[in-house]
Amino acid sequence: MSSEIARNTSIEAEKVAVKKKRKIKKEYIWGYLFIAPPILGFILFALIPMLFSVYISFTQFDLYNPAQFTGLENYHRLFFEDELFWKTIFNTLYAAVGIPLGMAASLLIAIGLNQKIKGISLFRTAFFLPTVCSVVAITLLWRWIFNSDYGLLNIFLESVGITGPPWLSSETWAMPAMIIQGVWGGLGLNMILYLAALQSVNPALYEAADIDGANAWQKFRHITLPSISPTTFFILITSTITALQDFQRFMIMTEGGPNYSTTTVVYYLFLNAFRYMEMGYASAMAWVLGIIILIITIINFKVGKKWVHY
Amino acid sequence: MFKINRKWSTFVVLTIVIAIAAGCSAFGGASNSNSNGQSGGVEESGVNDDGKLELSISTWGLPDEVEVFEQLIANFEEDNPDMEVNIVHIPQDYAGKMNTMLAGGTAPDVIFTSDGDFGRWVSAGQFLNIQDYVDNSDINTDAFWDSALNRYKWNDRALGTGDLYALPKDVGPSVLFYNKDIFDEMGLPYPSPEKPMSFDEFLELAQKLTVDENGDGKPEQYGVGPLWWEGFLWSNGGDLLNEDKTEFILNEPQAVEALQYVADLTNEYKVAPDTKSLDAMNADQMFETGKIAMAFNGRWIVPTYRQLDFDWDVAPYPAGKTGEPSGWSGSVGYAINKNTNYPDEAFKLIEYLSGEEGQRIQTELGFAIPTYKDVADEEVFLQSDKKPEHAEVFIMAAETQRPGPWTLTPNNKWLDHLNQKLPELWNGEKSAEELINEIKPEVDRLLKEGNPELFE
Repeated sequence: MSSEIARNTSIEAEKVAVKKKRKIKKEYIWGYLFIAPPILGFILFALIPMLFSVYISFTQFDLYNPAQFTGLENYHRLFFEDELFWKTIFNTLYAAVGIPLGMAASLLIAIGLNQKIKGISLFRTAFFLPTVCSVVAITLLWRWIFNSDYGLLNIFLESVGITGPPWLSSETWAMPAMIIQGVWGGLGLNMILYLAALQSVNPALYEAADIDGANAWQKFRHITLPSISPTTFFILITSTITALQDFQRFMIMTEGGPNYSTTTVVYYLFLNAFRYMEMGYASAMAWVLGIIILIITIINFKVGKKWVHY
Repeated sequence: MFKINRKWSTFVVLTIVIAIAAGCSAFGGASNSNSNGQSGGVEESGVNDDGKLELSISTWGLPDEVEVFEQLIANFEEDNPDMEVNIVHIPQDYAGKMNTMLAGGTAPDVIFTSDGDFGRWVSAGQFLNIQDYVDNSDINTDAFWDSALNRYKWNDRALGTGDLYALPKDVGPSVLFYNKDIFDEMGLPYPSPEKPMSFDEFLELAQKLTVDENGDGKPEQYGVGPLWWEGFLWSNGGDLLNEDKTEFILNEPQAVEALQYVADLTNEYKVAPDTKSLDAMNADQMFETGKIAMAFNGRWIVPTYRQLDFDWDVAPYPAGKTGEPSGWSGSVGYAINKNTNYPDEAFKLIEYLSGEEGQRIQTELGFAIPTYKDVADEEVFLQSDKKPEHAEVFIMAAETQRPGPWTLTPNNKWLDHLNQKLPELWNGEKSAEELINEIKPEVDRLLKEGNPELFE
């Protein structure tokens, strides 16, 4: 008797479980349906073109005529024959010097804008403004600022007794000029992110530190910095990826010159793809660059674990 | 911990994937939008519901240029009631978008092409050979400026010779613009509109026009502005490539001499602002604000300069050893898409646009000079009530000038390399001889790498 009851109960339980499973399955379908548009978009507009570009990177392809398979030739040329490619990789990494500079500057400004001053939103808007302006317009403006004879920057330097260099036309100074412009261009967005992070730091921590007699620097070093480290990490990762792909402003401001001193790898890629019509070679470059970015990002994540506090 | 790791790595991979995709699509994305909201590709051309044959043509340009173009098209439609022409206006990144439209088969029947893009597209087999059409039409090619017409020729190996693949829409020669007010102020005679200055005379004049009032070694007023060196090179008997276009010959003595002369204007004599080809745009603005007395520029700048608040005029380039002034002229052509289903009708359209009536209407804008020699002599071009006073200088220039160096070969890698290296000459780091000899092997290599068909 008792065994029979037990068996009946187990059957009941099984039935319920099956029903539940069906229900879950039904919910799954809905879930998949909801995520379908972005996934489909991704497959169509990112994954398939990407796989295609893998294939293209092993061919000679001028965009108009059918691609011809050439095996590893593009990669061989890239690694062993094209010195310019490695120079552009170097230039790109050089340009990335702007990342820590930009992060420090935007943190500083964010701290300044985190104070309770009259008209604070006006200042915040002013600093954020460059972010919403067109890159082309900003770049053209900066060309004027860097003009060696009449540019704002050199006039300012002259007023403090320094003879400014011919920024954009000097092989030595063109890249520093681009870094300065890049730092300025990135300030707005990073500043806003830092501002949000600063405002979410638990005030109780500062109060406790005050009671313990901590000074301003100690509070910044031991409370603020660790508390905003996830934001710092986020900015680091995104800026690195953006910096390694930077090229539009280089194209407008310097056209990669003089003497290739500001030819970034993506600008070089663009030239090969759309000026010289070597899609295969350009695709190979894109993949080498992609892998470099991947490695740098993985290193960032590994190192990040040591200093990012969640 | 493992879980977080996996999550992160997925995130990383996705980021990279998106990053690469974004990087590639920024320029790959074709936009087929046009003023009519249709794609306007060859495949869409055909007879519409009204029984009219619809064709498409691409254009770029500012609103006032497009307006004139629309007027032209309307005139054509009036003459050809059985046809309707859709204008595909691509105001930005024209070459980039046309690349993708051509590759994707959605380019219009008739394609605007700058002389710089022409080589790339014709060598990739994108344009129809129109030589037979031209021969069997009313078009008299002798009436065109040679320099305007020849740049649209292609013989399957080299540009500038062979059959016609496009007809010129216009030709825009470059000349020496000068600020008359500065000349008056300093009591100097204007440059002759007919007789070109010699290099020495030009230098002397530029020195007189350079003013350093406070003596700090940095003039407040420069004699001459952006130096368009090609004109100096050619008029001194030099060239960039040999006749077969198989060798870079800028190292020949006449060429080196001309380049050194141009560099010396800046570095030795300091009559031109630190010449940075990069700052060319700024140098134009320096002329417009009276900081430079003389500047080289093209015909297309005339409508802008007509709004300047000082008086100005034009003179020919100074001439080197050949005694003939030179310089480069820009041009835009009309080509027919190789994939068009209506080549006869498409030719009819470009025949009209590049024909005499089309030329007259376009000339009134003032951006370029007509490709027909006869039309250029007419009041419609000379516009004697408007500046410049000596518009005939442009006609003389059209006669003698050449297409820019970028029209020499379909692949301009070698020229890009030269342009990357030239600043070392312009800023005085190296002499012309030193620099050109140094870069010659690499320029030669790139010339061959980019244009193997020239060496076959």
